[in-house]
Amino acid sequence: MKTPIVEKAIPTVFDLGNLAIADSNPIVLNADSIETDLYALNRDNVQLLVNQILQLPLKRTVDSINSSNSQNSTMTLFSLPEPLWQTPREKPVPKDKAKTRWELFAAKKGIQKRAKDGKLVFDEETKKWIPKWGYNGANKKADKQWLVEYDDKNPNTDETIDPRTLPRAQRKQLVKKSLHQQKKNAKANA
Amino acid sequence: MLRTAKPKNARSKRALDKRASKIIENGKRALFVPGSTCNKFLHDLMVDLEALKKPDSVRFQRKNEIRPFEDSSSLEFFSEKNDTSLIVVGTHSKKRPNCLTFCRMFNYQLFDMIELKVVSAKLIQDFHKRTFDVGMKPLLVFNGALFDEDPVYKHIKSLFLDFFRGQEQSLLDPSALQHVITITAEDPDPKQKNLDDENKAKSLIRFRCYLLKTETSTTPKQPRVELDEIGPRIDFAVGREQIPNPDMEKQAYKVARQVEKTKKNVEMDFMGDKLGRIHVGKQDLNELQTRKMKGLKRKYDVIDEEKAEQQDDVEYDEIDEADEAYELDGDSFTEFE
Repeated sequence: MKTPIVEKAIPTVFDLGNLAIADSNPIVLNADSIETDLYALNRDNVQLLVNQILQLPLKRTVDSINSSNSQNSTMTLFSLPEPLWQTPREKPVPKDKAKTRWELFAAKKGIQKRAKDGKLVFDEETKKWIPKWGYNGANKKADKQWLVEYDDKNPNTDETIDPRTLPRAQRKQLVKKSLHQQKKNAKANA
Repeated sequence: MLRTAKPKNARSKRALDKRASKIIENGKRALFVPGSTCNKFLHDLMVDLEALKKPDSVRFQRKNEIRPFEDSSSLEFFSEKNDTSLIVVGTHSKKRPNCLTFCRMFNYQLFDMIELKVVSAKLIQDFHKRTFDVGMKPLLVFNGALFDEDPVYKHIKSLFLDFFRGQEQSLLDPSALQHVITITAEDPDPKQKNLDDENKAKSLIRFRCYLLKTETSTTPKQPRVELDEIGPRIDFAVGREQIPNPDMEKQAYKVARQVEKTKKNVEMDFMGDKLGRIHVGKQDLNELQTRKMKGLKRKYDVIDEEKAEQQDDVEYDEIDEADEAYELDGDSFTEFE
């Protein structure tokens, strides 16, 4: 059995994030035995690197990584540190998504983004949870009513228009407006 | 530049997203291009180098009319078309025999280039050895002080590191440690120290690949490492070099704001050990354990509030006066002490 201990005059530099080692000790390669000298040099440095890697903290994972069978197995993996030596990027750092007109306004006014509180709403009449919008959505209730309530504030002046079609037209109008705003934002941020 | 159309379906959108710039990048892909003067020798070498780089590689079968140092436009085109940021071009001429030009691209534009002349080589097939599994992360060894000193060799170190390191990963399977790529540059001859840079003979770059083997050793839990050379074995001489444009270099080494970590007081020393400075808070001297003796017990404390207050007042006065004096004349400060 041989020893795994290697000593160097100048300490070697490890970059364990890249699994690399740099040795700056003077190198002597004899012309007759270049390959054996190189082997000895490389073996020593790989030994140093492996000794360092074996000291890395271990992490046990349950899920299978890169295994073809579907069985789960516990794996013990080395957790690597961040790379030490930087290499140039392949592509520039991605730019942040441009802010929309509303986002700018909200930031100025200090308006916080609110999370949506779900897609379903409880219907008191049928005692069921129904979607707020979409197929059989709660916002389509007025479309199918046999009797439409007269709106005092916004009276339907044109008698020829079916009042049941009005909410749908309104929704269509909102979609149109939103698309227009999207286009405007895209143009401004281009 | 290639025309980039707006994706019309989800599949083409995914394909475009895959190529888009990312905060944490994928491993760089390499493209091997035989130049119009490429020969069988260079072709075989490129096959071997591709074997080390697989699966992140593309190799062209046909020769292409390319002179990288004269016109890089077709390299840029190939880079964008194949989404590869490393390109190896093989050319051969009387003046520069058996050259492999290693190019790096940034944003599909030429970043830097170095020409390495193959002096001698032995292929994988000539070793007749069992090799490693495809797609394993190699161990990298750089031997020689030149890699820290000489700018050309620094470039070569950065290039080979970039070429073989693959994708950055935080976890490593011990069984994936299979092969080692070593790059050695001898120290220059001391006789050459007085010569100019141009007259100096540049040290050869010795590229070796080994399979890693471990044996039980004299120390428990520390295996003895043995290597087995599997090839390719290549000796390169350094040829022409093109360094990156400073603007582009700055862009390429930018760290994304999202990854930048504000890790304070943590540093790595030259041994690769992590050192940290921690704040231990203010020490409470009242709690300090001094010499233990009967007379110092708390129950023997003399509590004389009046006296204590008086003492306090005197102290404050002294300090106030001292401050004033110090403002007027620094020297007189000592008188009050």
